[in-house]
Amino acid sequence: MVSIGAGVADPFSRQLTFVLFLSVVVVTLFAALLIAPQRDEVAEFYLGNREMSPLRNGLAMCGDYLSAATLLGSTGLVALTGYDGLLYLCGTTVAWMMVLLVIAEPLRNSGRFTLGDTLALRLPQGGRAVRVALSLCTLTICCLYLVAQLVGSVALLTQFTGVPSSTTRTLCVVVIGTIVIVYASLGGMPGATFIQIVKAVMLICGVTVAAVMVLNRFDWNVNALLDAATDNSGIGQRFLEPGLRYGASTTSKLDFLSLQLAIVLGLAALPHVMMRLLAPRSTNVLRSSVVWAAGLVGFVCLAAGVLGLGATALVGRDNIVDTDPKGDAAVLLLAQSIGGGVLTALLSCLAFVTLLAVAAGLTLAAASSLAHDLYGEVVRKGRATQAEELGVARLAAVLIGVLGMALALLSWETNVSTLAFLAFAIAASALLPTLLYSLFWRRFNSRGALLSLCGGLVCSVLLVVVSPVVSSTPSSIYPESDFAWFPLQNPGIVSIPAGFLLGWLGTVLTRRQEPSSYEEFEVRALVGADAE
Amino acid sequence: MSNYFTRPDEPPAYSPRYPESTSGSTPGRSIHDHPEFQSLRNGYRRFAAVSTALSVGGFLLYVLLSNFAPGIMNQPLAGRLTLGLALGLGQFAVMGVTAWCYVRRMRTQFDPVARGLRAQAEQRRPGTQSTYGTPSAREYRAW
Repeated sequence: MVSIGAGVADPFSRQLTFVLFLSVVVVTLFAALLIAPQRDEVAEFYLGNREMSPLRNGLAMCGDYLSAATLLGSTGLVALTGYDGLLYLCGTTVAWMMVLLVIAEPLRNSGRFTLGDTLALRLPQGGRAVRVALSLCTLTICCLYLVAQLVGSVALLTQFTGVPSSTTRTLCVVVIGTIVIVYASLGGMPGATFIQIVKAVMLICGVTVAAVMVLNRFDWNVNALLDAATDNSGIGQRFLEPGLRYGASTTSKLDFLSLQLAIVLGLAALPHVMMRLLAPRSTNVLRSSVVWAAGLVGFVCLAAGVLGLGATALVGRDNIVDTDPKGDAAVLLLAQSIGGGVLTALLSCLAFVTLLAVAAGLTLAAASSLAHDLYGEVVRKGRATQAEELGVARLAAVLIGVLGMALALLSWETNVSTLAFLAFAIAASALLPTLLYSLFWRRFNSRGALLSLCGGLVCSVLLVVVSPVVSSTPSSIYPESDFAWFPLQNPGIVSIPAGFLLGWLGTVLTRRQEPSSYEEFEVRALVGADAE
Repeated sequence: MSNYFTRPDEPPAYSPRYPESTSGSTPGRSIHDHPEFQSLRNGYRRFAAVSTALSVGGFLLYVLLSNFAPGIMNQPLAGRLTLGLALGLGQFAVMGVTAWCYVRRMRTQFDPVARGLRAQAEQRRPGTQSTYGTPSAREYRAW
């Protein structure tokens, strides 16, 4: 693991990566500052340009949705575990269908700036407590995922320089974090949107070029690609059979199911993705944007699958494991073998920009929740002026960025995917039940919302704490101690039903209150009679 | 014009409340009792439930089968392609078809009714906003 540097990138592609990354950052920073909100209007800061065309919106959604974990992590997973890795990519695409079919249109019709606004509209009684709980969940999810992105940047740097010294590490996290803060706090949503679009275009072009080169190498014969991948995997046909990663025992099979549940239900409920859904002004534009995003996400996932199989076929599974046992280096090794230094530099630059863009979106979502839900509605009870709230939002972006950097530096050795999967699990077990109940269940009340938000959050965090992730195995955070009585690494299979159950329980245990405003909410959510 | 933007002569209207929700019969409520709205809502819910069950539930079933019935999934179809891999590709096809059905259904069956109901809501609430029923005049280019 230590001898990584020499394997992946030669000095030429290292320098080229640096130059490319720097130029993208400079261009996008200037652009973000130029298109930053000019007036003290919270709507512009939270939602950005509301008149964007469907394609641009779709690109931005795709940019928010696909993180570097998809580009490096999932492709590596395909390269190492074949079938199981492909399942993982498939799950990423299916999750977007939840957004398209169930969440997008009702949420946009009834929402305003944050998810908290939708809930306040739906549950006028006890709205403040719900907002506090909701912002707590949003902040936890955003921070976890932000730390995952920043830790990912250190992991990516490791591919170039070997295990970095503590100074290099700190420098990397601080530089990335600072750029993220500038995007989010000065640029607001317009700036974040711009970098999302740049990143999405780069991502789509990058994976297309690489996938075309791989397929071209095999004369566009997928069977030849599969043949070569099985031959070079060192394990024969088992590479294309399920169970390579998660098939050891019933526990690990359940673990995989739990992970897939968290991905399919949690990716759809990530706060920065939902915030982006609120931006288009008309329902038609939103619908076309989400369909565009679905197509783009599906395309990138298919191409990532080809890249993963190509990496095994052309580089060999043993070489990938030798370079990085987690497989994150697979794409870069593949790029080195098919496109030389230039393609390696392009893809690594792409990975850094992807990290940056997702981190900016997360910081912005967390800052909006802090400023709008906590400060604007709970602390100032809706009396804050727009300029005040905007100032708080900018400050909050800085605070969250700094917090993320500090946490990332403290926990830089943590596995990136552990953090990300925990964030998905919380989103699926706290945010999704609340959102679905409030959109579709007439009786749902604020007690139920509080219970499902807090219960889902506490349940997923507690289950991870008492899981093998934290103790009892050599790879856990505290390998010496053993308090892992929950056998699975992913809490989703228990915490998601728990979140739904608690929301139901809290609702039916409360006596019926005065007629709810659900009728009016439902009309608005479906017909949009008030929102346009 | 959207009511998300506050005009300079108003206090910042942040709290998203229905200003008329205290009175007994509001436009929203009377729309809610409208038979057209009821059938619209039921149709929407049925379609959302069925399509989600099909695409998301289908995928989870596929994961379950892969984990617990690998024998079925490993049957070779052609060359290296096994049943499991083919079903995985099939997921993408199912998603494409579902998305297409959703868009077509919303465009042909949902939108016209919703537009009519919006126009009614506007009639019952005179003097608020005049742009409800008219479809957006703005045309978007491809980019």
